[in-house]
Order: sequence, then C-alpha cells, then structure tokens
Amino acid sequence: MAKTILIVDDSISLRQVVSIALTNAGYEVIEACDGKDALTKLTGQKVHLMISDVNMPNMDGITFLKAVRLNPSYKFTPVIMLTTEAGEEKKKEGQAAGARAWVVKPFRPEQLLVAVSKLILP
Amino acid sequence: MDLDKVKQTFILEARELLAAMEEALLGIEEDLNPGESINAMFRAVHTIKGSAGLFGLDPIVRFSHTVESVMDRVRSKQISLDPTLVSLLLECHDHLASLITSTQEGVEETPESHEGSQRLLNQLIPYLEGNGVIESTPVRVAAQPSGASEGGWNECWHLSIRFGPDVLRNGMDPLSFVRYLGTLGKIVHLASVVEKLPRGEDYDPETCYLGIELDLDTDADRQTIEDVFEFVREDSEIRLLPPHSKVEEYIAFIRAMPEDERFLGEILVAGGCITTKDLEEALRTQKAETLEDGVIHGRLIGTILIEDQAVPPPVVAAALDKQKKFQDRQAQEMKVVKVQADKLDRLVDLVGELVIAGASANAMAVQVHEPRLLEATTIVNKLVEEIRDNALSLRMVQIGDTFNRFRRIVRDVSQEMGKSIELELHGGDTELDKTIVEKLSDPLMHIVRNAIDHGIESLEVRRARGKPDTGSLSLNAFHDSGSIVIEVADDGGGLNKAKILKKAVERGIIREGAELSDAEITSLIFEPGFSTAEAITKLSGRGVGMDVVRQNIDELRGSIELESYEEAGTTLRIRLPLTLAIIDGFRVGIGTASYVLPLDLVIECLDLGPFLESEENHLINLRGEVLPFLRLREIFRMPGEPPTRERVVVVQYGETRAGLVVDRLMGEFQTVIKPLGNLFKQVRGVGGSTILGSGEVALILDVPQLIQLASEPSSGLRRRPATHLPPTHS
Amino acid sequence: MLTYHASQKDHQPILSLTGVLTIYTVAQARQEIPARLAKRKAQVLDLSGIEELDTAGAQLLLWLKRDASSRGTELALAHHSPAVVEVLDLLRLTAAFGDTILLSPPSPSRSHHGS
Repeated sequence: MAKTILIVDDSISLRQVVSIALTNAGYEVIEACDGKDALTKLTGQKVHLMISDVNMPNMDGITFLKAVRLNPSYKFTPVIMLTTEAGEEKKKEGQAAGARAWVVKPFRPEQLLVAVSKLILP
Repeated sequence: MDLDKVKQTFILEARELLAAMEEALLGIEEDLNPGESINAMFRAVHTIKGSAGLFGLDPIVRFSHTVESVMDRVRSKQISLDPTLVSLLLECHDHLASLITSTQEGVEETPESHEGSQRLLNQLIPYLEGNGVIESTPVRVAAQPSGASEGGWNECWHLSIRFGPDVLRNGMDPLSFVRYLGTLGKIVHLASVVEKLPRGEDYDPETCYLGIELDLDTDADRQTIEDVFEFVREDSEIRLLPPHSKVEEYIAFIRAMPEDERFLGEILVAGGCITTKDLEEALRTQKAETLEDGVIHGRLIGTILIEDQAVPPPVVAAALDKQKKFQDRQAQEMKVVKVQADKLDRLVDLVGELVIAGASANAMAVQVHEPRLLEATTIVNKLVEEIRDNALSLRMVQIGDTFNRFRRIVRDVSQEMGKSIELELHGGDTELDKTIVEKLSDPLMHIVRNAIDHGIESLEVRRARGKPDTGSLSLNAFHDSGSIVIEVADDGGGLNKAKILKKAVERGIIREGAELSDAEITSLIFEPGFSTAEAITKLSGRGVGMDVVRQNIDELRGSIELESYEEAGTTLRIRLPLTLAIIDGFRVGIGTASYVLPLDLVIECLDLGPFLESEENHLINLRGEVLPFLRLREIFRMPGEPPTRERVVVVQYGETRAGLVVDRLMGEFQTVIKPLGNLFKQVRGVGGSTILGSGEVALILDVPQLIQLASEPSSGLRRRPATHLPPTHS
Repeated sequence: MLTYHASQKDHQPILSLTGVLTIYTVAQARQEIPARLAKRKAQVLDLSGIEELDTAGAQLLLWLKRDASSRGTELALAHHSPAVVEVLDLLRLTAAFGDTILLSPPSPSRSHHGS
C-alpha cells in the first residue's frame, strides 16, 4: 500500500508541483491550503508523513504542528517543515514544538523528495 | 496534470500575491495597525520565492530572496517602513511583476531584467546591513567532493550513529534512515547497538535507545551521507569514517565512541529528561479534559501517564467539535469559486443564442395559435430570462479592484509632479460587466492622470487661492437609472475656457470668433486633435488625447459629461450601460422595419402632439415641459408615408429627454446585442444589431446619440456630448 | 491498534499480537503484554499478526525478552510476520533475539546478560 503524504501550503502551484513529484515517486498525496484545512483533511485519514509550510494564513505551520502533536493519531507522524533562511525565530518556535525535519525554501522538487525518502520510502 | 499547467497556476498565483502586496504597500501609510499588512506582504514574497524555486526560476528566487529578507527585518521591527522604503518596495513589486511576465512569455532573464534586479538589489542591501545578511543570493551548501574509492583494504564508509532519546517521539524512525542508506549504496555490514536499552522499570517504550554501526559501500560523497541524518543530527551523535581509513584512525574512532566510555549515567539523565517531557504531554492532556466545564475530571497526571494517554472521550469530543468548527468555516470560505473568464464568456454567448432560439419558438407558437404550446413556450421564455439574468450577473465584477489600482497611480504621478494629493474612493462595491471594467481602465487612467497633471494646481497656486495644500481627487461609482455612473472629481483649477478656446482655434477645430456656449467649450477637449499628442504609449495612457478617451467610452456605448467650475474643480462623469451582452429591449416599427430601444431608457409612450408653436420646431409640449422630438423615419430615410396616428417614445439619458417618433409600438423584447460591422459604425443613431425570433435582423438604436440629435436639430453632423436642455417652459 | 489474544497450543499458553507494534502502541503494549503473559504464565509470543513494526516496536520486543530472562524465565518469539522479519533483518537483531524465525518452540536464549 502506498504511503500517504499530506502537503500543507498556501501556494497552489507549490502544492501541485510537490504533488506531481511525490505521486510520480509512488506516494499518495493529500493537499491542504493551511493548518485549518489540514486538520480537516486529516480526519479519518491514515497519513504517514506531513509536509507543512510555516507561514500561512488562517493557521500557521507551528500552530498546526502543535495541534497535530496533541492528536493521539498523529502524535508521532513525521513532519517536514518548510521554512526560509529568514525564518530563524519561527524555526526555534518549531523546534520547541518538536519539529526536527526542515527543508529550506526555495527548494527543487528533487530536494524535497530526498528529504521525504529519508523519513519514509514509498 | 503537467508541469506547464502548474506553471500557469504559479503565474496566476504570483499575480494575485503581487496585487495583494501592492495593496498592502499602498495602504500601509494610513494603516493604524500595519502588522497584518506587513505579514501579508512578507507572505506574498515568501510564497513567490518558494514556488519559483520549484520551477528553477533562479532570477526570481534571487531577487525575491533579498526583498523577503528586507521585509523580514521590517516585520521584526528591526527597520521601519518609511515612505522611501515603501517606494522602493513598490519598485520591487513592479520588477517582480515584470519578471513574472517574462516567465509567462518563456523568457527567464534578459540583460535588462538582470540589470533591473541588480539596481534594486543594490538599493535593498543597505537595509540589510548590520544584520550580516549582505549576500544577495541564498547560499547552497556545495557538495564536497570526497576521495573516490580506489581500492584498498576498506572501501566502505563506516558510520557510527547513536540516536537521540527523543528521535521516535519526534516522528523519526531510525529504520527509515537505514532503509534510505540502502538506496545510496550497499550496506555491507550492520550491527545494532542496544546496550543502552534498560532493564525493568527504567525502560520507556517511546524513548530511542538504539545505536547503529554500519559499513556502507557507496559512491555518494560525505555531504550526502551526512545529510541522511540531517533531521536527527541535532539530537544524535553521528560519526563518519571515510573509506581507506587507517587502523590507527579506526582505533581512535572506536575510543571516541560513547559505549567504550560506558556512559551509563547518561542514560539515567536521558530518562529523567523524558519524564519531564511526558509530564508536559500529560499536563496538556489534562488541560484538554478540563476544557469541557473547567473541572478536572478526576484523572491525575500520574494516572494519565500510566494509562498512556489512551484517548480520553472528552478529548475526542473536543477535538471533533473543533474539527466541525473548522469544517464550517471551511465551507464558508469555499463560497467563492474561481472560474476562467472565457468559460463565462462562452456561457453568456450560449445564453444569447438561447434567448434568440426561445424567441423564435415563441413566435412560432403565436403563429400556430396552439394554446398549450404557447403556455409551454411562455414558461420556457420566463426561465430563459432568469438564466439570462443569472448568467449576466456572473460576469459582474466590483469596480473596487480597478479603483484600488488608482491609489498607486495617484501616488506615483503626484510624486512625479511634486503635488500632494489625497485620493478618495467611493462605491467600490458597484458591480458592472467584466468587459466594461477591463475596457474602462485605460480611459479612466488617462482621466485621472489628466486631473493630476492639469486639474490640481501647484502648491503655490493652491495657497494663493486659499485652498488646502493637499489636493483632493475622488473616484465615485454608483447606479443611476439603468446605467452606471463613474465620476472623477478634483478640487483643482477647473477648465480654463479662454485657454481652451485659444487652443481650439490654434488647432483649427473652430473658427476664430465662433460663439460657443460653456458646455460647448468644455466639450472641445474631446475633439480629435485637441490634445497635444506627445503620444508615448497607449498602454500607459500617457500622451493619449481625451478624444481617445471618448472613443473608448463610445465603444462601451457610454457617454461623458463634464462639469467644470473655474478655480473650484472639475467633475467628469462617465455613464455606462450595465452590460454589453443582452438587454431588455423595447421594439418599435417604422414601415416594415423594426428597431430596438434599451427598455431602461424608455420613460413613456404617447401619441404625437401637441406641438409647441409649429411642427417644424420639432418640439412637443409634454404636460408643460418642452420635449424635443425626432422622426426616426426621417433619420433613417424610410420611404413611404407615416400612418395617421404616429407614436412618440419618450427616452431619457442622464438628465436629458427626447421623443422618438415611430409608426408602431411593438412591446418588450429580450435583445441579444450583436456588434455592428465596421461598415455600420458610421451610421448615426445605431448602436448595434440583434436577431429577432423570426430570424430578421433589427437595429438597436443608440439613444444617447439620438437624444443629442433631437436636442440640437440644427447642429449638423458633428457629434457632441449631451448638453442640458433649455429651461422647461417658454 | 494492537490487540491481544491468549490461546493454548500443545498445552502451551500462547499470547498472540495482532495489528501494529509501533511508537503509537508501544506504551500500551509495555503494560499489557507483561501483565497478560504473567496472568496466563505464557512463555510464547505469537507475532504472526504483526502488520507493522518500527524501532520502538523492536525495542519493546527486545526489552520483553530481556525482562523475562532477568526474572529467570524465557520468552520465545514465534511465527514472525514478514513485517517483523524485515525489521529484525534490517537491524541484524535476529541474533540478539536468538529465536528461530518462523518456528514456535523456543530455542536457548543467547541474549546478553549485563553489558
């Protein structure tokens, strides 16, 4: 059974490119446009990995991560946070919330794919 | 889904983000709480950079990176957003927009765009100084070339990893790294180090106690291998021994390994640390349980810990409730759907065809006198009418976005001219047809530029006239009897009639000494050849004469009124139809032909007469009001005699009324407007054509033009904007 | 989800595990398995129903095994499912467990005593 990945980012094009790359690599992909949307989409879903942007409207990535870590079903699901060099402060906040996997924006699809493969193979 | 399509999405998305950025930038100076706007700007650039990176659009990435860094400093209040920086960021916005446009055209970077980036980057860099971020491009860690394997007693990399205790809790599974290493090369040897796994009660099942020693036969370089563990590097100990290492190095390496030093105390420390974390977790769980009614529901922290945080029902309930709220909000947010414009246009076209086909069916039903068929077609027609209204409303957009663009233009132009101008926007929520909005933007731009350039006086003049230093310009949109009015008003010097007359004579538009009314003089500025045609580009609106503005408005079946008071200001009023596609028409007949009038403009119908003084005056006395009239039969040079009982349709456009004399009144009719060919453009009084249910073509009358003709029966063939009627009684 | 099922085979009590033995279930399993083994005096853990095993799960199995031996009893792991075999192979832990893969009778433990 293919592994399912949730990608949370407010950019449609980023989500689509990531989706294409991951789907081609053999993963199933669920897309969400922000933290709130992601929490909704997670309901009743088995997700093996989450990729989340930090800076998003409605609910940012850190808040989303905290919410996910409180949910017994996703408490230990690996989460890759997408960040920028400019986001050092956010990074600290994220680390406090338990985020360890960071991918720096901008990245090429292959770079993200490598990061994902380190955590789960398709 | 292919990448090219996604690139289009990226371009659209980038445009939207840039628009949001511009709006935020322009609003920022008046914003009392600019935090959210600054965040929005930062996010816009951040998102563009992120997506551009995915497509390998390096020039955009490089440029937006620096802009983002500056924004970040603004966001963290390290630097303040002064007007100079706002202007610079606006320039950056423009440059990004042009980079996006190039991308759309398939050009990644031109020497000009590179130069543009460089110039702006140089201006941005001072804002980053003192932060150590002077580098304008994101630095990527270059892969370090390693000694390639050339054979020797050990051709493998040796890896020694001791995973941190929290690795599992953070969602990372050491197994996945081992599996991934397997994709980089061959794992020749592996040994799990499980010595740290405690006996008995000290064991915490969620703590990681694992260590791994492995030999990897791979072509990958050191960086790649090290990077496998990048997500656990901070918590874990990772040592790498390259191939061809000497025995001594190995021994030194082994000595440095934690197990050789027997760091048992470390394990206990780690254990304690874990308990703290678990306690935090449990506290959070307890808090969630307490949320329901504020009372702690019996379970103590210890119990929670022991019971392993097995999903307590109230937490589940709270989570479900929260999720439902999210869903509800989500549903609200989804109420707006984006549709491609050409799909809408096609829909409206089809509805147009449907209207014609419906009318045709109805006409046939009338002919065959079959009551049941008539009833059916009536219902169909009613539905078609509703579909028509709905389809047309889909194309309606608020003029607010167009208005907002003027904040930028006014800002730029007024700065350029060294004038201080305040822009007021009203009626941004007024809706009008998308096509009209698009075509309106250029003429409006020109009018606004004109108002700033020629309307609002220089500071010295304003002071001399006792006006406030800051000039005022307002854009106003509202509905008025079946049309939409857009006003551009300034408190400037007004039109200088003497100057206009002089210029008109110079340019040979009027004769020296011609006697003209005030309205006639002001309308001269719309005459072709009046403006000094410095003609730069049509796009920017610069240097394009007001005659082009009027032409554009004419094409939209609209009209322009001008109200100007010397030294007090000018108001320019554009009157536009609600829609361009389908209208409710009123059909009239002359001889065998039929014509259509927009129903919105029809006031009433009556029999011709009584005339004021004589029929030749072309004036009727309408309940004490003077109403000029026009015989369509004469205008269109119809052969044959009029019937004995002629009818008058009273039409009104703006403030002006006139009567149109026809043979027959034929009732309301849904009219799908078809544009006229170029050949008919010159025919006066005709604005378009339509197809009747019978398949015949009927002309749609251009009421504003006809009213104008009626009001000035002697004015010959020159077109003029509508002017006010003389006083009502004589 | 991890479920426990006690049965008897050849007069030998067996505890069978079904479901996932991962970071999500180890905390509960750490309490349940020893308690159920003790209750039935079972010395065999049937792993044929394990669908997923991760590092946390492998650690737990090893801990159970060592815990038993430190109390002077033996715990045999039997009927390893493919998921279990894959992980034990990957981590080269088969030797550390000392169980004969896919066979139920326990073999003498070679697990480390002290370190």
